[in-house]
Amino acid sequence: MKKQKLNGYLVAGILITALLLLLTVYGAIHTPYSPTAYTGAKFEAPSAAHLFGTDKLGRDIFSRVLKGMGTTLSVALATVAIGAVAGTAVGAATGYFGGLVDDALMRINDALTAFPSILMALLVISLLGPEHKYSLILALGIVFIPSFARVTRTAFASLRDVNYITSARLMGAGNLRILLVHLLPNTGRVLLPALTIGFNNAVLAEASMSFLRITPLETSLGYMLSEAQGMLSAAPWYALSTGIVIALLVFGVGLIGEGLQQRNKEA
Amino acid sequence: MKYTLKRIGLLLITMLLVSFLTFLAFSLVSGDPAQTKLGTEATPERLAALRHEWGLDQPFFVRYFRWLAGFFSGNLGVSYHYSKPVWDLIASKVEVTLCMCLLSFVIITLVSIPLGIWSYRWVGGPFDWLRTAFNQLCMAVPPFFTGMLVSYGFGIVLRVFVPGDVPDLHTQFGAAVKHLFFAAVCIAIPRIAMTIRMMRSTVISEMNKSYVRTAISRGNDRHAVLTKHVLKNSLVSTITFLGQTMAEIIGGSIVVEQVFGIPGLGRFLVASIGYRDYPVVQTIVVILAFWVVLVGTIADLLNQHIDPRLRLGGKT
Repeated sequence: MKKQKLNGYLVAGILITALLLLLTVYGAIHTPYSPTAYTGAKFEAPSAAHLFGTDKLGRDIFSRVLKGMGTTLSVALATVAIGAVAGTAVGAATGYFGGLVDDALMRINDALTAFPSILMALLVISLLGPEHKYSLILALGIVFIPSFARVTRTAFASLRDVNYITSARLMGAGNLRILLVHLLPNTGRVLLPALTIGFNNAVLAEASMSFLRITPLETSLGYMLSEAQGMLSAAPWYALSTGIVIALLVFGVGLIGEGLQQRNKEA
Repeated sequence: MKYTLKRIGLLLITMLLVSFLTFLAFSLVSGDPAQTKLGTEATPERLAALRHEWGLDQPFFVRYFRWLAGFFSGNLGVSYHYSKPVWDLIASKVEVTLCMCLLSFVIITLVSIPLGIWSYRWVGGPFDWLRTAFNQLCMAVPPFFTGMLVSYGFGIVLRVFVPGDVPDLHTQFGAAVKHLFFAAVCIAIPRIAMTIRMMRSTVISEMNKSYVRTAISRGNDRHAVLTKHVLKNSLVSTITFLGQTMAEIIGGSIVVEQVFGIPGLGRFLVASIGYRDYPVVQTIVVILAFWVVLVGTIADLLNQHIDPRLRLGGKT
């Protein structure tokens, strides 16, 4: 076995993501100031006391960004969890069993691709009622099901008739056991990069939705960015710090995905 | 020809399915809009009159087909919030959004195809990682953040356009396009990065095929092989990808319209969701979805024209 070359993308991505995660955890336990309280002068430029400055209401932007990361990250993770679990289940069932169910679900899937993800999320939120706090998570989770289903379906379908599965079947393993024990671990190669892409789409979708102020999530990065637009000339640091944090979050996980795909190619 | 007809038939079926699912979903949640509009103290006569005016006293399928026919006759029902015909409210906005999305599509196509081919020269080079990282960065910056910076930089500091004030498309076409151009660029940037990434991997796999090796071993110039043979053979997957890009452009337009204050469908959609104005919401959703499906079909038809193997149901 040849020694694996150090994968630069993977390392850089993990470093960036780990740093941001640490900051988020720190923000969940403690923030320098209350993210909503008046802390000093308005529109104060970044300084040692206020790392990212203050906004129109004199709130400390660093504290707000820390809290915002927590909200955005937890919404994104919950969303990906819903999308990945349900999507993999659908993909596994259709890819493994095939047949009529497969055809029917794939047709519905085709129709669903007609809706851009943000439009679909808006549609579901509109149906669930925009005033509920969990509408957003549920809506985005539903939106990501088809893409996960498509990716995993292909993986399950391609593995369905390989020899080790046939032999497992001959030895009397049930369908459920084959799906969970033999097939699922072997779809990791496609599932892991799909998870990183899904996570990034979830972060961007959450930020877009709160930017549009569809749901009452006032501590999310997207909402803050929409606040920051109104103060762009007086407090450019608000928009910059929020926007850069979103971009870094997506960039870090994007690099991890790139690294994973590169490793797949080399293996 | 047979393939074209089949593909158009599939397009119509998808459109029917999309519109039906949307209509069904909104019929299920909308409850009694007449009651919502008039409040709990409305007399039964007033309620009945309003329901009749909005056509809510008709059976479900009658309402659905009436609404569907409205896409051809312009009678798409009445907005609950504005009490005006839906089509009158959205007609001008459809043009603005479609113009912006098309502009963005053109930018993506013109920029990413040459860059995608050119990026092959970096493969294996010492700075390939830099290009990859830059590509990832372009995908990571959300279009609404770019939009904020662009509308501030070009709109407020350089005064190239006035944010929030889009000139009329009919009377001042040039000025309007100039305004929409900036928004279109913001939508395009992440998609350009994605298209280049996808083209790069297609070109790499094409370059490993034997016809390329043959062409080069016969003394052809590498560059000529790249632009003459490989480009043509990468075109099918690129066109498919660009067709799917339209969905993302439309998704991006919803947010970017908000940033630039562009009076398009996306902004109106967001406002209408707030008002629970279901006739407007369902119509906009279906118009945008139709647009996506239509572009996907055009991409497919183009592909089968380029690669006749596809007409036989084969794969490239």
